[in-house]
Amino acid sequence: MMRTIEVMLVIIIILGAFMIASFFAVLPSPREVSPLNLRRLALTTLQLLDSNYSLSAAAFVDEDDSSFAEVTSQLQIALSACLPPNIIYNLTVYQVLGENSSELYSYKWSISNAESLGVGSDAASLLVASSNVTFRVTPEKIGERGFGGTLYILNCSDARGWWITGYTAHSLAQDLYNLLSPYFQKTIMVQNTTDLGKILNGTALQGETLQNAVVINTFGEAVPIPTEYCKSPYWDNNYARYCHFLGNMTRLYNWTWVSIVGYPFYYVSNTISLKDNQNGWGIWGMNQTGRAGINAFLQGIDNRNYSFNSGDIVYTGDVVVSLSSQVLDCCNYYGIYPYPIQTSKRALSNSTLASYNLFPKLYIFNSIYTQNQWYNPGALYHHMKGTRIEGSLLALGVTRTPDIRLTAIGLLSYYKPRLYCSEYTAANVTRLVILQLGQAGGV
Amino acid sequence: MAGSTIDHLISVTVFLGAMLIFISLFNQTLQTAILYQRHSALATKCSDLLDNMLLNPGIPEDWGKSDVTPVGFGLQDPEFTQYRLSPFSLMRLRSSVGEPVYYPRTGLTYSNITMGLGNFLLVPYSEAINYSAVAKLLGINGTYGFQLSITPIVTVSIEEIQRKNPLILSVKVTGVNFPLANAHISYCLLTIPIGGGSGSYPFYTIDYGTNFTDAQGSVPLSFPYVKQEVSYVFIVYAYLGGLMGMGYYEHVTYIGSYIIPFIDDFAEGRMLIAHSYDVHNDTDTAEITYNATFVVLAEDFTLRSMSVENSTGKLTYGIGWPYAYVTIPKNVRSNPGILVITYRKSAQETGVVLMPWGISSLAFPVVFGGDPTGQEWVATDIRQVTVNGVAYQAKLALWSLGG
Repeated sequence: MMRTIEVMLVIIIILGAFMIASFFAVLPSPREVSPLNLRRLALTTLQLLDSNYSLSAAAFVDEDDSSFAEVTSQLQIALSACLPPNIIYNLTVYQVLGENSSELYSYKWSISNAESLGVGSDAASLLVASSNVTFRVTPEKIGERGFGGTLYILNCSDARGWWITGYTAHSLAQDLYNLLSPYFQKTIMVQNTTDLGKILNGTALQGETLQNAVVINTFGEAVPIPTEYCKSPYWDNNYARYCHFLGNMTRLYNWTWVSIVGYPFYYVSNTISLKDNQNGWGIWGMNQTGRAGINAFLQGIDNRNYSFNSGDIVYTGDVVVSLSSQVLDCCNYYGIYPYPIQTSKRALSNSTLASYNLFPKLYIFNSIYTQNQWYNPGALYHHMKGTRIEGSLLALGVTRTPDIRLTAIGLLSYYKPRLYCSEYTAANVTRLVILQLGQAGGV
Repeated sequence: MAGSTIDHLISVTVFLGAMLIFISLFNQTLQTAILYQRHSALATKCSDLLDNMLLNPGIPEDWGKSDVTPVGFGLQDPEFTQYRLSPFSLMRLRSSVGEPVYYPRTGLTYSNITMGLGNFLLVPYSEAINYSAVAKLLGINGTYGFQLSITPIVTVSIEEIQRKNPLILSVKVTGVNFPLANAHISYCLLTIPIGGGSGSYPFYTIDYGTNFTDAQGSVPLSFPYVKQEVSYVFIVYAYLGGLMGMGYYEHVTYIGSYIIPFIDDFAEGRMLIAHSYDVHNDTDTAEITYNATFVVLAEDFTLRSMSVENSTGKLTYGIGWPYAYVTIPKNVRSNPGILVITYRKSAQETGVVLMPWGISSLAFPVVFGGDPTGQEWVATDIRQVTVNGVAYQAKLALWSLGG
């Protein structure tokens, strides 16, 4: 009898345990088990309503505005039209006051389709900006974190360009100035060949740093030549010797020499000293150096003695080429969008440049493989002396007419200056819209 | 002695019986809790998976505009952020509701999203992405089943009030069970005049206009210049407070033979134009001529027509010219639009068919994936998305295949 009583006691204990366990182990309601993600629904609804900035416009209408009733009515119609019938909402607009105020936000107005949002609700917010607000972007200056920071744009009034059809060197120089000057510590327009002669002689024009500068030749296949170099020995082999000198200076000052279009160093130009010369195509003030120009430049940058070489190192076939992925990414970052497909006409031989110790550091266009070797339609090369960089060359071998944005995006893709954007939550120009959603009925 | 043995036996029996009852009771509670836990995890997975599909463009990013098979699945428009979907990626999903169409002339089977006679979207299976491939790309093959529905939020319904002299149409714009009052509408009426034009190709005229809906979301539109019964197509875009939707209506004077457009090559923007007899084996085998144009929606919500390559031609069933090609020009191929093909048997017998280039152009819905019917538990989640500006609701139904 005792055992039966003991068993009964055990049963009572277990029953008690079960009841206590059942009391505390409360299962969630079906709505909580498989919930609709109201937070995401609210966020996507706000984004949908703001897809054409309609919500932004509505959020900046105040209660005392004459259009307030119409705007809020439209917003209510749009909300009711896009939310499922069982969803109730409350949309509230706040003014962002900023850090200097005692409050961060102040209430402006709200709309709702129900008195309360039921037992469970969730909310999402969206910051919208006034159409009056302007955002400032402050670029990092090239050279701030290292060497260089000077940009020379050749804008010589006493020189002529070639293969810049449809433009003048001066208009290209102005465009480049507008595109690139915010990114460099100092941008100098080299206004004539005399000034070019000065920097070639190591004299700063405006107190700038010559070392590690970028020199953009806006004259296409021609390169300006100062009068003082229109003489022996620079005029050897149709001024190929001058191109050798330019290569030497590029190495000496660790410049980045930029050729914007076509065959680099194919002509030299000075409208005064070479006024009696023409380039073979009837353009006076210009002398055709030919293929020896680039070879001489490469000898100069590689610190070799000058020797005449008119060998062809360029693939002159028409090839459709595309921007490299690295440059395409930078297009979005800097907001410069040249057409991604271009025609290459003067692609430089990769192996020949490598024999002068110039190696691609940035591919602006994807390389092309033809005639059993690789050619680069557009690239920035480092001239390497062991592990040290001694001069660089950016050559765009695309066909005329030049797209100057390719030069700009090529340089920016190489230097990668950062962009510092102004704060989005600026006071009085930003409002916070909160959409709170709840479910009507059911459990 | 006997009493204690009986006492022992009774107590053990009662104890064992009680234990069994309690074990089953506890087990039931635990099972319910585990089931709830699984369902909760399924809901979380559903939400994550839906975001995963909608917030990445896939790999490669432009797979919707090309013929390549993606190696990463995503539906986001690569040119935008947030919940903006690519109208072209959606076009490449194999529909799970439309009856597939077999076209004997090419020997191919086509995924079918057809919204009534005259509104076709037929994508060859070889170009369409199927359910099992996407499940593999999402990493849920064999573990979860899903169905993704992309449905337009705004419905624009059009009713013909009077067919001629003048043509009167009533446009009604509604959201989810709610009329869109004072919505801005932009429309385009393409008519095929009787006997109009020279030569045998159907001639058409296009008229554009804008208007606003009333408090009930309706607006009647009258076209006094339509004096006789003609074939026409009416396309409407409606816009209110960030919500945009579209609708269309066609009336044809001849339906015996008609044009059926098939997508032939996404990358080239090439469509194959087939005779209806070759597809459905109807009774009417009449030769028909056609004239195609491409209509795009501009940023100011007005419609613009663009010419297409090889826009005119003639079709006979089976022999002669069994099918032809129409190519959307390269410069507008990346824009969604509507391919409008007018056809004609005689001066009085004409018609028109539509095909969206980009799913949003005709606000076609998309249903992609498996069938949730009969599953033990299906979790669902929804997002509001835009497809080339048109407001859609994306709904994902997810169920476990693990038992």
